[in-house]
Amino acid sequence: MLISTSQANEEKMGHSSRTPKTLLITFLLLIQAGNAWAFQSHGGSEGLYVHQMAHILFMGALTYLYLHTRRTQDLGSRGWRYLRLFCVLLFFWNLMAFAGHEFALHLSLDDFIDIGTWNEQIAPPISFLKIIYFVAKMDHFLTVPALLALFISLRTFYLEAREEIKK
Amino acid sequence: MTGLSLTPTIVVDLGGSGLVIFLSFMALRYANFLVKLQPKNFIWGFLFYFCFAMAAFSISRGVGHILRIILVLGGQEKVWQQLSPWSGGFNTLLMISVASAIIYYHKGLAAYKAIRAEAEKLAEANRKLAETAEALQKMNTYLEDMVADRTRELSKSEKKFRHFFENSKDMVYFCDIDGKITDINQSGLKMLGFDSPPEQFNLLSFFKNDAALDRYLSTISENGFVSDFEMELESSDGSARHILLSANAIFDKNGFMTGCEGIAKDMTRLRNMTDQLIKQEKMASVGQMAAGVAHEINTPLGVILGYTQLMMDDFDKTGEVYENLQVIERQTKACRKIVADLLKFSRQSDSAKVEVDLNGLIEEVLTVSEHNLNISHIQVVRRFARVLPKAIGDAEKLRQVFINLFNNSHHAMANGGEIMVTTSHDLAAGEIVASIRDSGTGIADDIKPRIFDPFFTTKEIGKGTGLGLSVSYGIIRDHGGSISAESPVQDRETGQKMPGTAFHVRLPVAAEKNVINEEQ
Repeated sequence: MLISTSQANEEKMGHSSRTPKTLLITFLLLIQAGNAWAFQSHGGSEGLYVHQMAHILFMGALTYLYLHTRRTQDLGSRGWRYLRLFCVLLFFWNLMAFAGHEFALHLSLDDFIDIGTWNEQIAPPISFLKIIYFVAKMDHFLTVPALLALFISLRTFYLEAREEIKK
Repeated sequence: MTGLSLTPTIVVDLGGSGLVIFLSFMALRYANFLVKLQPKNFIWGFLFYFCFAMAAFSISRGVGHILRIILVLGGQEKVWQQLSPWSGGFNTLLMISVASAIIYYHKGLAAYKAIRAEAEKLAEANRKLAETAEALQKMNTYLEDMVADRTRELSKSEKKFRHFFENSKDMVYFCDIDGKITDINQSGLKMLGFDSPPEQFNLLSFFKNDAALDRYLSTISENGFVSDFEMELESSDGSARHILLSANAIFDKNGFMTGCEGIAKDMTRLRNMTDQLIKQEKMASVGQMAAGVAHEINTPLGVILGYTQLMMDDFDKTGEVYENLQVIERQTKACRKIVADLLKFSRQSDSAKVEVDLNGLIEEVLTVSEHNLNISHIQVVRRFARVLPKAIGDAEKLRQVFINLFNNSHHAMANGGEIMVTTSHDLAAGEIVASIRDSGTGIADDIKPRIFDPFFTTKEIGKGTGLGLSVSYGIIRDHGGSISAESPVQDRETGQKMPGTAFHVRLPVAAEKNVINEEQ
């Protein structure tokens, strides 16, 4: 009973003494404010970093999807095999795109001829870096089959599900 | 200076972007079909969102690439430089979205699998429940069939035994330990003199003889059964029935007797027939003996009578000797009459049989006898059949029969009474029945079997020879008929018993000719 009374008093006194402290700190902060540092500045390369990280995240997600669907016994039908093919193709596309972005950083305007025309070329000498860049520009050879695999996969799922319902 | 042309990459980029957009939307289309087909399937839901994100990414990337080519090659590079960060940003954002969809799949699938596992467990439980229910249903059906079969068999058996019980011509009964009848068939009811079962009746109360009842009870309690137990029952109407009874005691699970069940056969008719046969044999024997005696005595009596009459001529009619000879002559004649009666009884005398109208014959007898009967305050009531076929017989002998019967009735009604004469035609038996019923003292049970015996009489000595009924019996038997006595008399209409005696004379109908006449 005594303890309860003293605790109540302390709480009462503490509440009354805290209010001036809060007001004081607020006042000091207002009068001492210099650079606010409220917004982080984003340099030009940040977009590329985020994009590359998105590629890595995408690859990780595709890898997980591939492994999980392969590991799961229930997901062994033809449709799932096409989906895994999609994962593999899109994984390599991500890899290629990632590499393309990276290698592009090492190329300058001097490495290109007739920029902005149909006749745009990679200027000689043709290095390994330039060949990789060239190949990376042809990434639709991966994305088109990947999306085709996804389309076939979904179509297969649909046909199988419809057959199952008919049974 | 020739470099590596990027034209193929531009062409591939343009074509590839278009194809990617097209294929991604085709995939999204089928994903949409799947979701509509099975809305509750999580996998299809995931694939729909995944394809949606992929389609968005394909548009973002493909359109960006196409725009870049168009703008740059069209000399609008500055415009592209302004749009490029937006395109790249969208691409990045949508790639993250696709990856997020896959991550969502990770958790969602786990939840879906857990739910599906539970659902499968539930489905399995339901399936097992359904199987159990089906098995139970089969068992139930089998049980129902089995019960139906058993019930059918039981019903068949019950019907069989019920039919036997109901239609048995013998009495079949069940009674409790006290003899109270719990169930009895129609024949039994009829045997006991009932049309319908009374509320309560006891088998033991129908035993006519107490000694037989004691013997029955002791036998069934000692042996648990009685077999071919001969006894006499007195039915509710008072008539006696000779019964052959077989019964079994019913015991409970503790071995205590709880009642009995039995079958009783009415032997009355057989017994009466047997008695009648015995009587007929006896009468035949007596008749033969009487005939022999009569034949042997008749000749000496004739000699005695002849010599007596000759001697009577030799003596003075006023003398004592003559009077003594008259006594001898009178008694000898009485003896000859007795002998003649004996011969009639034994059918040794000749008879001439012609067609006889029984109504007329009885009327002739009454013409002579009725006067004397009226003097004794005896009224004669005639109930003759209006149409009666004729009988073949010796009219004289038949007259003697009816004279004897009227005399007997007369003697039985010393203080007056009524004689009812009834004639009828028993079509079923092919007989003419004449009944002489008086309202006299009746015949005691103990002498009933002897009334037709020769020389049996209840009259005082010297008032009757005891040959009247014997002679009548012999005459009727000689005519192929029968005579029987009933005492007390049961009224045919009311069933009540009345004091007195009725003699029933049954004579066969004469011949077909008469029947034809009757029909005409």
